[in-house]
Amino acid sequence: MDGPGRSSAGSGWTRARLLRAAIGGGAMVAGGAAIAARTDGDSLAAQSKDADAEILNFFLLLEVVQEGFYREAVRTGRLNGDLLTFAQTVGEQESEHVAFLAERLGGRADARPTLNFEDALSTPDRFRETAIELEEAALAGYVGQGANLTRDMVRPVATLVSVEARQAAWVRDLAGVSPAPRAADPARKADRVVADLRERGFVS
Amino acid sequence: MTELTFDALDRDEALTEAIGELFGSTRARFLRTATLGSAAMLSTLMAPSEAAAKVSDLDILIFGLRFERLQATFYTQAEELGTIGRMSAAKQEWARTLGAHERAHVRIIKQVLGPKVEPRPFFDFGEDNETGAAFTRTAVAMEDLTVALLTGVMPKVRDRRLAAALFGLLTVEARHAAWARNIVGAAPAAQAFDEPRTLQSVQGAVARTRFVVRQPRTSAKRRPRFTG
Repeated sequence: MDGPGRSSAGSGWTRARLLRAAIGGGAMVAGGAAIAARTDGDSLAAQSKDADAEILNFFLLLEVVQEGFYREAVRTGRLNGDLLTFAQTVGEQESEHVAFLAERLGGRADARPTLNFEDALSTPDRFRETAIELEEAALAGYVGQGANLTRDMVRPVATLVSVEARQAAWVRDLAGVSPAPRAADPARKADRVVADLRERGFVS
Repeated sequence: MTELTFDALDRDEALTEAIGELFGSTRARFLRTATLGSAAMLSTLMAPSEAAAKVSDLDILIFGLRFERLQATFYTQAEELGTIGRMSAAKQEWARTLGAHERAHVRIIKQVLGPKVEPRPFFDFGEDNETGAAFTRTAVAMEDLTVALLTGVMPKVRDRRLAAALFGLLTVEARHAAWARNIVGAAPAAQAFDEPRTLQSVQGAVARTRFVVRQPRTSAKRRPRFTG
């Protein structure tokens, strides 16, 4: 199945012209709209510690949801073989991501949401489909917001995002769908990603 | 006795070019006339590298294009040599998808660079894309190296539109790496955080492969292998 980010596969990189103008002329002209038009990403708001906290809390939510999903999946005992290995391995990695983000946020970390994955864990097939959905949603959220972080924060987050992409590819391979369905991954707005998680009933 | 200078040794400027990339062009120009082993040469090389400290967005894009060209050519040549066609169906799909993506990445970066695109380098992968086993092993290493490069340069990027674009490429390269690792039975995601590498470090790793050569390969299939 497809993740939420798949819809814009194959669209052109119209931002190239703007970026070239900026690099060629040495002037970083405003062009966030061109990127947002292709990627559905959030506009490039000013980077700041406050903005970092807001973005990191969004990332924390993504990681808390995934960690809860994999932990519960392993607990049900319905998985075995490669899927179980995947859930155990990735679940531990998501725990590390949660710990990292919570540590960075300190007292500014949001309270943990209530999670519910009952239907999504009813069968191994449902688990696999939902894992792809969650991994793709997280990736689209990271791609949409990563560049809005201050550069000090981009450093560790980039090394976390690449692992999220590895996880997405892994579970897609297990499902027999292309692990890398497009040449460039699109972004999604944070509020849309969160709204999807709520609509699916995973978060309340 | 005449003192030996760097200039006398480095007639084809290959070393100067490499030092320029590692230490900056100003320092590389100075070194050309410095006496080998002199205090001036040593202190110049020991000083913190301005190139390492100040990597521009243009540097990142130019090296990014070189690296993507290297990858794209690796996959394209493997197709032309019949290496991919001799692999299993699953591996063929993997190799062809990655090749198509890397060629797309070359086109994307060329569009961004416009007139600043450098001439296309020559590559010689020797036997590394002539057999399925060697091709796969090299592909895994190259895809992991790409992830390390992108995670390493991301904090250096000044233009946030470029950073946003690179995030979308980073995730695809990481998908490639995971897919490649799964193909060879290695853990697709071995740790919670990837290890970043600096642009200079990746330049060094690429130089050690000797895949980038000064002249095109003379035969379509076999040796002699250019060693740079």
